[in-house]
Amino acid sequence: MPEMIGDNVQIKLIRKYLKLKIVENNVLFRNHNQEKCHVYDIIKRTILQGESHSALVIGPRGSGKTTLINSVLYELSKEVDIASDAIVIKLNGLVHHDDKIALKSITAQMQLENAVGDRVFGTFAENLSFLLSCLQSGADRRCKSMVFVLEEFDMFCHSGRTQTLLYNLFDITHTKQAPMCVLGTTNRLDVMELLEKRVKSRFSHRHIFLFSNQDVEVDGREAPARSPLELYKELLVILLSMPACIGRRDVEETPRRRKAKGKTSVNIDELIQTDDSSNYTIPIEDLERCKVDIKQFRLDSAFIADWNTHIQALAATDSVVDSIEKFCYYINNEQIFRDILFQIVSHLSPNKPYIDATDVTATIDKTVAPEHRVKLLQSLSILELSLVIAMKHGMEIFDGQPMNFEMVLHRYTKFANANSSTQTVPRPVILKAFEHLQALEIILPVRNSDSIYNASDTTASRVQKEYKLYTLAVPIEDINEAVKNFKALPTEISHWYNNSVV
Amino acid sequence: MEELYKKVPCRESQLNDLLNLLGDYDEPLPYSLFLSGSMATGKSLCIESVLKYLGYKHVIVDCIECYSPKLMYESILTELGSDLEIKSDTMLDLTNALNRIGNSAVRYEPMVVVFDRAERLRTMDQSVMCAFLRLRELCNLNICTIFITHLVYDNFYFKMGVREPIKIFFPNYNKDELFKIIFLHHKSFVRHVQSNHDIDIEIKEELEKPELFANFLNAFLSVFYRPCRDLIELQNMARVNFVKYCEPIIKCEIQAQDLSKLWRHISPILKTSLELLYLRISASKSSNPSPGKENAEHESQCYNFEHTLKDELTSTKTFAQSFELPYYAKFLLIAAYLASYNPPKEDKRLFMKNHGKQRKRLQQVKAKAKISEKLNTQLGPKVFTLDRLLAIFYAILEEKIGLTSNLLAQIATLVELKLIAGSKEIDLDVSKYKCIVGYDFISAVAQTVGFNVRKYLYDFI
Repeated sequence: MPEMIGDNVQIKLIRKYLKLKIVENNVLFRNHNQEKCHVYDIIKRTILQGESHSALVIGPRGSGKTTLINSVLYELSKEVDIASDAIVIKLNGLVHHDDKIALKSITAQMQLENAVGDRVFGTFAENLSFLLSCLQSGADRRCKSMVFVLEEFDMFCHSGRTQTLLYNLFDITHTKQAPMCVLGTTNRLDVMELLEKRVKSRFSHRHIFLFSNQDVEVDGREAPARSPLELYKELLVILLSMPACIGRRDVEETPRRRKAKGKTSVNIDELIQTDDSSNYTIPIEDLERCKVDIKQFRLDSAFIADWNTHIQALAATDSVVDSIEKFCYYINNEQIFRDILFQIVSHLSPNKPYIDATDVTATIDKTVAPEHRVKLLQSLSILELSLVIAMKHGMEIFDGQPMNFEMVLHRYTKFANANSSTQTVPRPVILKAFEHLQALEIILPVRNSDSIYNASDTTASRVQKEYKLYTLAVPIEDINEAVKNFKALPTEISHWYNNSVV
Repeated sequence: MEELYKKVPCRESQLNDLLNLLGDYDEPLPYSLFLSGSMATGKSLCIESVLKYLGYKHVIVDCIECYSPKLMYESILTELGSDLEIKSDTMLDLTNALNRIGNSAVRYEPMVVVFDRAERLRTMDQSVMCAFLRLRELCNLNICTIFITHLVYDNFYFKMGVREPIKIFFPNYNKDELFKIIFLHHKSFVRHVQSNHDIDIEIKEELEKPELFANFLNAFLSVFYRPCRDLIELQNMARVNFVKYCEPIIKCEIQAQDLSKLWRHISPILKTSLELLYLRISASKSSNPSPGKENAEHESQCYNFEHTLKDELTSTKTFAQSFELPYYAKFLLIAAYLASYNPPKEDKRLFMKNHGKQRKRLQQVKAKAKISEKLNTQLGPKVFTLDRLLAIFYAILEEKIGLTSNLLAQIATLVELKLIAGSKEIDLDVSKYKCIVGYDFISAVAQTVGFNVRKYLYDFI
């Protein structure tokens, strides 16, 4: 019995640890070693040699741009004292898209609010150079290096307004007023087109691309690209495995000896535990940021070993491999994969201490092809579905011309009259059902008046709701699917659906 | 836990999903959740009760109420308990304030921000929702944003893509579940009946029997399930109809056990009340207000008014008659309708006695042009000028009357009554009108003056 309770606690701890690892760990960066070295080099040179650089990291969403920079900064922090030698300023295009806000945030991140005080500046450049001079006026007159990380870089390139912030930042790197490194991350390939001419000319044109299918360099020679399937499988194992080194400390003390214990107890784990054990742990900094004490994860090392074998076995299961392959076929986004893993891990509980292969496949299926639209169609009432079908028929007959309520009603009543078994529903109720469809955005009003009907009508914007034109906003395939699998659909409706013209 | 499942019936799997994802107090939350599903499927209820059960710090923002980003930021901060100033104009202020709250907390505290009716977020600047989707990353806190909407995720377009939320779908209740949920409120239904009637204790016992209510619900759903799956609406209609169902039992006309007789009694009532679905016209109150009360008279008056209003609204015919238009105004309205729904080309043929050769071509025209979907009556009214209106008016009116200012004032009245839509032009020659009443209405009006509208409608010739 006490053994059972112990297991319950342990599974909870594992769940918490894995959740933390999946959500909070943003310094673990795999692959793209070349690009990583590049960024690493740039930042290191800025901090140590006082050079000025600018670069853009470009890659699709979820390809690890932010993680790349975070992991570089994290690794650098082990080598150099970032806190005292440099200032890292992080701006996000979503938050700081306004130059004034950005400047305010820069001031705050430089901790210069007091120095600025109530001073009034004429221009943006004046303000920024004041901030820089404040930094220089230290005791040794040596300026700290600065690393600017601009996330969602494209949001800073606002069209219409001048790109003051970007201009000033790049100008500083260009004229080498102060050692500064400007790193932008974006998922827009055409980002250079968005830049003003004066901004573009000051940018170093150093692009770092992160594409998932790039050839990787292993030990100095080119190796063929690894398939996304392998990468995700590896990620699954890395994210779901528990590090052995946090095992219970009652027997051994040093990590080396604990590993040795793992070796003797479970042979299959030997490989992972000796090689990648560091891969499985969450960096201490992350845990501190989350105010979590590492010591609370007092797990039995045998239990961890068991768990890791379980994960290895899971990753080797055919159905899991298949569904990961399916995932890669649809999506190539690590964030989404992490979300999937999060959902899988959150299902763990004392009653269900292991991850089933079916969990993985079900969650991936749900994410990859959610078919919410089909489900939404299936949750319509029979009347509403009939209207959708009527509309679909009408649009088929008239080559996708938009329809108004009267036309749909006409078509529906034709059907209803032909089938005596259907109850007659009064017009206001049908109109309400039509409006319900509109609220669910299953049908959408036609905005442009290029339709043949109201070409001459000057008051087209003020037509009554019965005569407003709508188009179906769901694909025909979804309606097919919905009708096919509709529970308790009256036969005459499915018959009507399949025999298009009444 | 049990209580939670009892409070939110028929949503076990969704509740389980939510509980699992939100996890324990010291566990990290997911980035963002996206709950979608049709109206009245228990989305808000689920999330509210789950959050209450878990006891996390949370705020529920109604996006209709908080129509601007500023209001939204400030209401989030007020609820999450920032004791500092809660002025927050920009996303930066919000993240800063949230960070201050987070840093003051001793532990890794979970916070949840729920956006109800999130479809409204689309009307705001796109960066607002993008930022909320990655709020966790922006403020480095254990914070989760939850979006509740009746739209599916595909209806949210993002130009540049976003960090995708975890999606949970709420399907509609099916017939059995609807039955189960409404049945849970059996007591309140019975109370509702009792509050409207004076009932003997014997009959009261009869009414409280669950079998009776179950039978009623079966009959009710068999009629209403087809056009409507909205729980709230069904509950409302069931409440109204259950009173009627019980009336003969209270009056001792039908035995409570005589189900077939009760069914025969209720089925026509259900059919008629089907027309009232969604309209929310309060159905007739008790027909015999309890005597001796001071406000009995007032109540019955009130009842009468409601009754007439209901009658007027339920059928277009009575609604049309309720306007009590003058004789000529009725003809003007008919003329306006004809002008709106007939093509001007055909006026000559429709309204003149000697239209010459036109008749010959009639068959061809008919054969060519009558596609049901392109009938004028289905495309909506067209605009017409005052001249045309008056010409048709004199053509359909048999007697000869002068064009007086009285007559013109009638047109203004019709515009005021919103039966005709008119432009606000002062110059009568250029102003355009449009008839905005439907066919049912106009045929009801025409009946009162003995005029056959169909005969003069191009579509029906």
